[in-house]
Amino acid sequence: MSDEKNRLPDQSPIIEEPILEDIEEAEEGKMILDEERQEDIPADFQDEEMALDDARRIKSLSPGMLVFKRFIRNKLAVIGFAILVFMFTFAFLGPLFMPYEQDQYFTHVGYQSKDYAGAIYNTELRYTVADGEEFGSYERAQFLLALGKDNEIFSLGEDTHYIQTIADGTYRIIDLDKVAGELMRMGLTPEAGVTLPEGFEEAYFAAKDAGEESFEHDGVLYRISSEKKEIIISTEENIALASLNVFDPYNEEDLDVVDSFKFKLAGEEAIAAEMNEFTVENQSYEVQYDEGQITIFDAEGQPFAGVSEIIVNPLDKNEYLSFEFKSAIRQAIRDLKDRVVIPDADGTEVEYRIARVNANYYIRRQTPTALISIYELPSAEHPLGLDNNGMDNLTRLMYGGRISLMVGFVVVILEMIIGVIIGGVSGYFGGAVDTGLMRFVDLFNSIPFYPVVIIFGSVMDTLDVEPITRIFLLMAILGVLGWTGIARVVRGQILSLREQDFMVAAEATGIRTSRRIFRHLVPNVMPLLIVSATGSLGGIIITEATLGFLGLGVRFPLASWGSIINVASDPYVMTNFWFMWLPAGLLILLTVLGFNFVGDGLRDAFDPRMKR
Amino acid sequence: MENKEKDMTSQGQMTENLLEVNNLKQYFPIKAGLLQRVVGNVKAVDGITFSIKRGTTMGLVGESGCGKTTVGKTILRLNDKTDGEVYFNGINIFDLDHKELRAIRPKMQIIFQDPYSSLSPRLPVSEIIGEAVKEHGLIPEKGFNEYIDHTMKICGLQPYHKDRYPHEFSGGQRQRICIARALALLPEFVVCDEPVSALDVSIQAQIINLLKDLQREFELTFLFISHDLSVVEHISDTVGVMYLGDLVEFGTKKQIFRNPLHPYTEALLSAAPVPDPTVKRDRIILEGSIPSPANPPSGCKFHTRCPKVMDRCSKYIPEIREVEPGHTVACHLYYDHLETLD
Repeated sequence: MSDEKNRLPDQSPIIEEPILEDIEEAEEGKMILDEERQEDIPADFQDEEMALDDARRIKSLSPGMLVFKRFIRNKLAVIGFAILVFMFTFAFLGPLFMPYEQDQYFTHVGYQSKDYAGAIYNTELRYTVADGEEFGSYERAQFLLALGKDNEIFSLGEDTHYIQTIADGTYRIIDLDKVAGELMRMGLTPEAGVTLPEGFEEAYFAAKDAGEESFEHDGVLYRISSEKKEIIISTEENIALASLNVFDPYNEEDLDVVDSFKFKLAGEEAIAAEMNEFTVENQSYEVQYDEGQITIFDAEGQPFAGVSEIIVNPLDKNEYLSFEFKSAIRQAIRDLKDRVVIPDADGTEVEYRIARVNANYYIRRQTPTALISIYELPSAEHPLGLDNNGMDNLTRLMYGGRISLMVGFVVVILEMIIGVIIGGVSGYFGGAVDTGLMRFVDLFNSIPFYPVVIIFGSVMDTLDVEPITRIFLLMAILGVLGWTGIARVVRGQILSLREQDFMVAAEATGIRTSRRIFRHLVPNVMPLLIVSATGSLGGIIITEATLGFLGLGVRFPLASWGSIINVASDPYVMTNFWFMWLPAGLLILLTVLGFNFVGDGLRDAFDPRMKR
Repeated sequence: MENKEKDMTSQGQMTENLLEVNNLKQYFPIKAGLLQRVVGNVKAVDGITFSIKRGTTMGLVGESGCGKTTVGKTILRLNDKTDGEVYFNGINIFDLDHKELRAIRPKMQIIFQDPYSSLSPRLPVSEIIGEAVKEHGLIPEKGFNEYIDHTMKICGLQPYHKDRYPHEFSGGQRQRICIARALALLPEFVVCDEPVSALDVSIQAQIINLLKDLQREFELTFLFISHDLSVVEHISDTVGVMYLGDLVEFGTKKQIFRNPLHPYTEALLSAAPVPDPTVKRDRIILEGSIPSPANPPSGCKFHTRCPKVMDRCSKYIPEIREVEPGHTVACHLYYDHLETLD
């Protein structure tokens, strides 16, 4: 034993040397130490004072530290890592600093063109029926027939109606009540049961001689008309007025007066005669003519009603159109204008557009409405603008990033769990278990991915799955379809590790199986797993984006980067609103690049043959 | 459990031979086809018998692929034998169940040829050495660290190496770690499976000397597997020569090296380099290479390459004969009744 002690320390320098020359890792460790050493040890100490086997000479680096050092030296990997750090900050911390929610939409006040009123040149006769009379559709039809034949008289059963033409397009329909008749100049024959008042005959003859068609006697108007060879004297009774003119009251409460038969008759007669005033029921009215627009003023000189050939009606029956409005519209139509500004009741000027469709004019009002601001260009409040739902694009990208990254991680973890268990069991036990499990892997590999996912997506649509549940189901299906690669890698690695001497040595030293697996096998599989997991993360994010783009993935109101890009499938959006899809595309690109860089970096760092 | 271990030890004290190997066979099936049917066997070890006395070293020599390593692994039950018995301290290790086997494991250790693949790259040295010690509770918690330091020291490692990882060591140091791992378990028997063949000559000498020192100190029994005859000559007490799964000659170091009987042993010895340019020897050059153990030649397996081949060699399998005390050989040249066979 004493011999032993004497001999060994002498030998150790010789043994030590190969460490520094043969093994890169050790050399690296030493180099690092050298750099550190130069700071605190004077230069002349470095060579002499430090014995070769001095404990300080070689800094012990665990394999993990070595991997870390090599990783840090790989610039591309560090860039990738920085990208990933940015993405995670952006997606998981970013929303905390955004004032908006992911499903908050923004509106602006916009003007919406809405049909407000209709107008038409009146080509149909409008009938005003005198009080207590009837002038229904049958009567109207008979009237129109007579009018068409240029007949002045038309009969309705026993009644004979007389059409008096007041003006072109204005007719008065009168019921003639025969009082007396004169046949062949043989003197008046009163109708049965009618007693002619005194002086009637004289008045009649005077009128007849004067060639007048009517005469007044004793306050009653009598009409002289001839039918065949008989001259008929009859009293007249107003039935209706048919006119192309449209009467509009100036004030809504005057509607009854304006619409009354008497007012209209008087008005029509006055207009036909181009008189400047008329009187109805002791009220005198003044008429003004102005370029087709006829206005009737009352005794006080206030506008009372308007007469026009253009009908203006509100599209909403409950709406009352003011006289000014109607006048303005009529004026505009007559002037062939397509827009007109009319102050409303509050004095606000409202622009109306007049559109003509055949004979009809539609008056459209630009109504102020709260509109969702879609595709709003980037601004200070919304750095990346608003999307097709009027939601803040940047906020959506952040929340979308959460889902995209989360999907990536959860799916990879799921794949790892299934892959490590199946691959591990397959590799460790080998034999029939291995063969069976690998055929199972082949089975899973032959499942066509997209058809299954598309069918799955439509099944979820049919079942009306909640958006959140949908994401979890999506993760599950991606994981279940994707683990085979990891299982194969793990199996292969374990198959080769199992035969390594250190595993045999572990068995020979009598270490229990669980410890052999978890302390010896698993740590040696980990690097490979980490590399393949990082590599497949990028792939899963792409897959998720593809599914999102195809509309199979995440559903509104939730977002993912893929579903945000979905809007670019509309060429209009793609060409006009770059801010809708370019940022999401860049984020996916950068993230996948980042994962691939980090994956490559890890692979190189874990590979002891890599010198970098 | 402890009782059982004690039983084993007490039993062990009684036997003169620490290890007895009786007609050990280890075949590896060759599978082929879609259904992986067994179409043949690689007869890596084809019925060998030998014993090692307590505290001695048996050298096992032979060319590559003759089954030396398989013998070493099968003795430790790292492979499942095809046939035969291995008695360790009088206990047939193939009769032990899982728990008993684990309990006996520390007593029989192995040192591998490749010091690079025999250490888990993800464990620090202290854990590689101490892990199984802890597992079996060989050393109380209190003195554990000191024990590991001590073990490392006697194997030529410094205590500050403890926290390092295998990749930070040279091949010789790694082999020392392997030795420390084996020794920390206080074994009685160690299979040294070509422990120095991966090292350069100066380190080889250190390791061989270390093993010898340790053997002296801890009364270890070694099975020293090597194809390097000079190393075997240096370390062994007895030597076995293997050819194609058979132990063709067995004897003390002196008997084998001074008086080789089997033509194969002669050829091997003549091929070993002697570090003296003035010495001239007749070299026996063997023709061809070792036949496939899956389809070994009939009769004496060596007859295809034997310089002294006779007619009967290809027909009859030679029996193992004790030519002088402790010196056995399997060759028709030393058969008593040659005439009767012909």
